[in-house]
Amino acid sequence: MAEINKEKLLWAYERMKLIRTFEDRVAGLFAEGKLPGFVHLYAGEEAIGVGVISHLTDKDYITSTHRGHGHCIAKGVDVSPMMAELYGKATGACKGKGGSMHIADVDKGMLGANGIVGAGGPLACGSGLMAKTLGTDQVTVCFFGDGAAEQGTMHEAMNLASIWKLPVVFVCENNGYAETTPWGYHCAAKDISDRAVAYDMPGATVDGTDFFAVYEAAEVAIERARKGEGPSLIECRGFRYYGHFEGDAMLYFTEEEKARNRARDPIESFKKRVLERGLLSEEEIAGIDAKTAKMVEEAVEFAEESPWPVPEDVLTTDVYVSYP
Amino acid sequence: MSTVGIIANPASGKDIRRLVTHASVFDNHEKAHILQRALLALDAVGVEQVLFMPDYYGLVERALDGLNLSLEAAELHMDMHADERDSTEAARRFCESDVGCIVTLGGDGTNRAVAKGCNDIPIVAISTGTNNVFPCMLESTVAGLAAGLVAREMVDVERVTYTAKQLEVYVDGQLAEIALIDVVASNELFIGSRALWDPRRLREIVLARAEPSSIGMSSIGGCLHVVGRQDPQGMYIRLGQGNTSVLAPVGPGLIIPVGIQSHRLLSLGEQVALEPAACTIAVDGERQIEVFSEQQVSVRLTNHGPRVVDVQQCMREASQCGVLSMPVGRET
Repeated sequence: MAEINKEKLLWAYERMKLIRTFEDRVAGLFAEGKLPGFVHLYAGEEAIGVGVISHLTDKDYITSTHRGHGHCIAKGVDVSPMMAELYGKATGACKGKGGSMHIADVDKGMLGANGIVGAGGPLACGSGLMAKTLGTDQVTVCFFGDGAAEQGTMHEAMNLASIWKLPVVFVCENNGYAETTPWGYHCAAKDISDRAVAYDMPGATVDGTDFFAVYEAAEVAIERARKGEGPSLIECRGFRYYGHFEGDAMLYFTEEEKARNRARDPIESFKKRVLERGLLSEEEIAGIDAKTAKMVEEAVEFAEESPWPVPEDVLTTDVYVSYP
Repeated sequence: MSTVGIIANPASGKDIRRLVTHASVFDNHEKAHILQRALLALDAVGVEQVLFMPDYYGLVERALDGLNLSLEAAELHMDMHADERDSTEAARRFCESDVGCIVTLGGDGTNRAVAKGCNDIPIVAISTGTNNVFPCMLESTVAGLAAGLVAREMVDVERVTYTAKQLEVYVDGQLAEIALIDVVASNELFIGSRALWDPRRLREIVLARAEPSSIGMSSIGGCLHVVGRQDPQGMYIRLGQGNTSVLAPVGPGLIIPVGIQSHRLLSLGEQVALEPAACTIAVDGERQIEVFSEQQVSVRLTNHGPRVVDVQQCMREASQCGVLSMPVGRET
């Protein structure tokens, strides 16, 4: 593994902390009835999105899922238009028309969260084919969950990416539950990375709660893709702290499981280890904590003060593409 | 009652060396097939009971599915952690259950975990890992036959087993880990994905076995001097620029020059102090301990490792004793 410099460690902590702060705040806003539609929160999975996206630039692409806030933030999407999008406001990342499950920012290489489980795979093949056809070194990362792993679209996408040797890295965020169904029940193979053999690509399983484990695996997989060596599959094992959606009572989680997961908090683990090693200081951590809290509060303020879309715009713009 | 214990690791052979080397994936389906053949062999030689470690895939249950065996199979009742603690705990339970032989499926790391709990129960180690020096690439049918012969004492167990060497890792004087093949000090600061593959990131290696026909760290030592599994020696290597470079298979399909600053043989009982530095210590190919610069790490070579069945020797012994031959009409 290449050494991670201080700048990258600061960036990684800030992104993970910003995701957690954003999601915790969104949980509260949803409970207060301020957010229309559904939200699916990413808290607990921060080490995956940030560990992988650490190796991407704005020119690289990601496809995301219904649980996409973390991917957006890791990819550099501004939290203020994100929050406004959740509110359905005109200043939202998609002018308030998409909501939580359809945030996109193409300038940042974020091709969109997606309300359809498993729909990111074919999109990733599309951007991968574009990069291959144009001869760029852009890589696309396709995030998908353990539930999506059982969808036909993902099987088709991984097969297609392998046939065409596309620069795509498939990252399965296995948080243990497809909505409320345990992974042990719905997945015949049990190790999703085993399936890489069938798609003729390399696959590996890593601890998705350990930033450094994800970072190492993503580094080699993305490098492979960038060099034109084709797709790969990384299964990241982890958990989520919130329910499938906000309002989910999480009755399928035992208290013991919740406590076990809390004890393995990926952000706390990262913080403890970089402090122990003297790579970051308490002051630097505190500074980031304060900065991310401020960013999220400003995002809420921005969203609440933003105007609602006007009906004419909602119905007549951004619906059809106009070709010159 | 003749009993064989099975510890099959569903997670072996799946780390990121599939991405950085040309290592094979040992998928769970294949592991269940390997177990099926071993179970059929155990049954054929009259083993009466199999106890097995539970795992998240249900390897042994799936292997048993559809087999019509005379032996009884029972899962150990234990809490599962889905990590190496399960293998160690299962081995401990086998010690309390009069198990005559343990069959393992995994790599060096899996067998290290088993060695921590199995006392002197002989092990038949089938390779399904990445770096496999301790376990052998065996057809599991034959491995099962050997395990059954040992468990039923149909062969002279002393003659077909040997005691493995072991490396004990001490951190600030306290025993922190063991290894069966290698202990490596790496410049990596975090355990991360656990795997090691880039020799430029490694500083020191202590080997219980240095075999040029092996894969991984053992092969680096093996290029300098051969230390076999039963030789009363080990090896210490300081990596870096020196007068020597060896061409070693440090991973599957990864054959690269490795710079050697110095090396020397170790004798049994000898304890070597590693250079103080912030690092991670890897045991049997997996980073396991994060070390700080003020901590002192030392490694001791012992002959206190697990008892291992030499499968080829076992089958030869069975042939010579005639335990697998019988008059026609009395084949049961």
